[in-house]
Amino acid sequence: MASLLLPTLTTKREIDTIIRDTLDKVVVLRFGRASDASCLQLDDILSKTSRDVSRFATVGLVDVDSEEVKVYVEYFDITLMPAIVFFFNAHHMKMDSGTADHTKWIGSFHSKQDFIDVVEAIFRGAMKGKLIVTCPLPPERIPRFQLLFKDV
Amino acid sequence: MASLADSFLADLEELSDEENYPEEETAELADAECDGNTDMQDLESLNYDDLDSVSKLQRTQRYKDIMQKVEEALPKGERDESTFLVEEDPEYQLIVNCNSLSVDIENEIVIIHNFIRDKYRLKFPELESLVHHPIDYARVVKKIGNETDLTLVDLEGLLPSAIIMVVSVTASTTTGKPLPEETLAKTIEACDRALVLDSAKKKVLEFVESRMGYIAPNLSAIVGSAVASRLVGSAGGLSALAKMPACNVQLLGTKKKNLAGMSRASALNVGFLEQTEMFQSTPEPLRARVVRVLSAKSALAARIDSVRGDPTGKAGRDFREGIRKKVEKWQEPPPAKLPKPLPVPDSEPKKKRGGRRLRKMKERYAITELMKQKNRMPFGKEEETSLGDGLGEGFGMLGQAGSGKLRISVAQSKLKPKATKKFKEKSYGSSGATSGLTSSLAFTPVQGIELTNPQALGSSLLGSGTQSTYFSETGTFSKIKRT
Repeated sequence: MASLLLPTLTTKREIDTIIRDTLDKVVVLRFGRASDASCLQLDDILSKTSRDVSRFATVGLVDVDSEEVKVYVEYFDITLMPAIVFFFNAHHMKMDSGTADHTKWIGSFHSKQDFIDVVEAIFRGAMKGKLIVTCPLPPERIPRFQLLFKDV
Repeated sequence: MASLADSFLADLEELSDEENYPEEETAELADAECDGNTDMQDLESLNYDDLDSVSKLQRTQRYKDIMQKVEEALPKGERDESTFLVEEDPEYQLIVNCNSLSVDIENEIVIIHNFIRDKYRLKFPELESLVHHPIDYARVVKKIGNETDLTLVDLEGLLPSAIIMVVSVTASTTTGKPLPEETLAKTIEACDRALVLDSAKKKVLEFVESRMGYIAPNLSAIVGSAVASRLVGSAGGLSALAKMPACNVQLLGTKKKNLAGMSRASALNVGFLEQTEMFQSTPEPLRARVVRVLSAKSALAARIDSVRGDPTGKAGRDFREGIRKKVEKWQEPPPAKLPKPLPVPDSEPKKKRGGRRLRKMKERYAITELMKQKNRMPFGKEEETSLGDGLGEGFGMLGQAGSGKLRISVAQSKLKPKATKKFKEKSYGSSGATSGLTSSLAFTPVQGIELTNPQALGSSLLGSGTQSTYFSETGTFSKIKRT
C-alpha cells in the first residue's frame, strides 16, 4: 500500500495552497509532533486510509514545532496533540462529537473505519452546504480529553 | 477387431478336426504376395492348434523385403548430405512401407498374444489378468515354462517387483495344471515369434525415426521424430498429413473409438501427440490447451514440409519456441490487485427497482385507507375513542356521520387477482364433513363419468335458495332476457 506518501507541511504557504486549491474534497490536516506516541498511532491510521479516501479527501500532516505554523496553532487554538482540522472548499468544517470543542478533532481514532466514517460525514454535510455536522461515531469511540492536562 | 473374432471362431473350430488343414494352407498362402493382413482368408479355415495358420506375417514376401532393406539401411547412419528426401526417392517409399508394416506387426503381435494366452490358460489362467502387455506376457510365459513352483523362476527385470510378488502369490494358488509337452513346445515357439516381431518392429521404427529428420525436418523439430513418423504413418503419407485440418491431426492415434450412438467422451482427446516431450512436460491443467496449439503448429509444419518450404527446419524450431513461451505465459500468476479507493459518497445514484414484485412487497407495509381515515380528525368535533371519554385510541374519521361512506370496508387490493374466490368454489375436494363413499365425480347415464359435478355449478349459479346472489362478489351477470 502506498502509505508513506502523506505530505508534511512546514511553511504557511504550503498550508494555504493545500486549503485553497483542493476543490470539492475534504482537506484533513493533522497538527501534531512526529515524536508523540498517539500522534504516531494517528499517523498510521491516516496513512493506511489515505488511499481509500483519496477520491473525496486529501490528508496532510502539519508539524507543530516549525516557526511559520505557530500562527495557525494560535488561530485554531491547538493545545492538545494530535488535533485534526477539516476544511472543504476553503471553509473550516466543524463537527459536533459531544466534546466541548467542535472546531477540531482531538486525539486518535479507534480504527480505520472510524476515520473513514468521520470524513464521510463531513463530506456529506459539506456537499449539502452545512458548515457543522454531527459525528457518526458512538460516544464510546470518541476520545475524551480533559482540559486539566495541557501539554503545550 | 478382426483378430479377436478370429480367435473366438477358432475356439469353436477346435472342436472339429485339426491336423489335415495346416499343410495345405501353408502351401497356398505362402506363395501369395498379398499384404500381411491375411486374417480375412483365415476366417473360413482357421486351425487354432497350429501357430502358423494364425500368424502369417513373417512368411510374407513383403515383410521379408522390407526387413531386409531396413537392415541394410540402418547401419548406414546419417546420410552424407543433409539433403531433403524427395517423394520419388526410393528411401521415401521404403519409409512409407515401414509405417504400414509396423501397424501390421502390431496387429500380428496381438493375434499371437491371444494364441499364447489361450494355450497357457490351462496352466496359469490368472496370468493374463495380471500381465496385460503382450510382449511382457510372452516373456513371462517363456520364463515360467512348465514350472509349477514359482520360487524357482526368477522374474527380475521382466516385471515391476510388485507385480512379480502378485504373480508368485497367485501361482501358488492357481487352478492350472502343467501343460503337455507338445502344447508347451508350441507355446514357447509362439512366444519366440512374438519377441522376434517385437524386435523387428523396434528396428523399423528406429529406421524411420532416423530418417524422419530428412523427410519432415520442421515437423520433427516440433513433436520429435518418433511421433512425427507415427503421425505420417497413420495419416498415410506426408501430403495426406498436410491436407488434414489441425483438429484431425490432434486425433490421429487415439485409442478410443466411440461406438455409434453411445459416445464415450474421453478425458483428453489426444493421440500420438500425447507422447511428445512438450506435452509430457506441461502440467495437468494446461494439457488440454497445449495439445490444441501443438496440433495446430504441427499441421502447419507438415504443410511446410510437404512443399519443402524450409529444408533447414528453422520454422519448426521457431514454432517449438513459440509454444514453449506460450505455456510459460499461461503459468504466470495473475497480476496483483490494487485495492480501489472508496467511491465518493452519494455520487452514484441508488438503483431503485420497480415492478409488480416490489409493489406487492410494499403493499404489506403500506398505509391503508382505514389507517388514513383513522389518522385524520373531524374539525370542531370531539374525536371518538376506544375507551370512551378521551381515553384509549382515537378513531379519527372512522364512523363519522359526514364522511360520505355507508360503512368502512376493507379495500380490495388492486393487485390481488379478482378470480381467487371463483376458483375456490370450484374445488373438488370436500372439507371432510361428507362420508367416505362420496366422490366429486358424477355418473351420468348418457355420457358416462363426468369430472365436473354439474350440480355444484348449478347450485352456485342459481343459489341454494337460501343465499341471495344479488350482492355476491363473485357473481357475474346472469342472463338478461328480454321480456
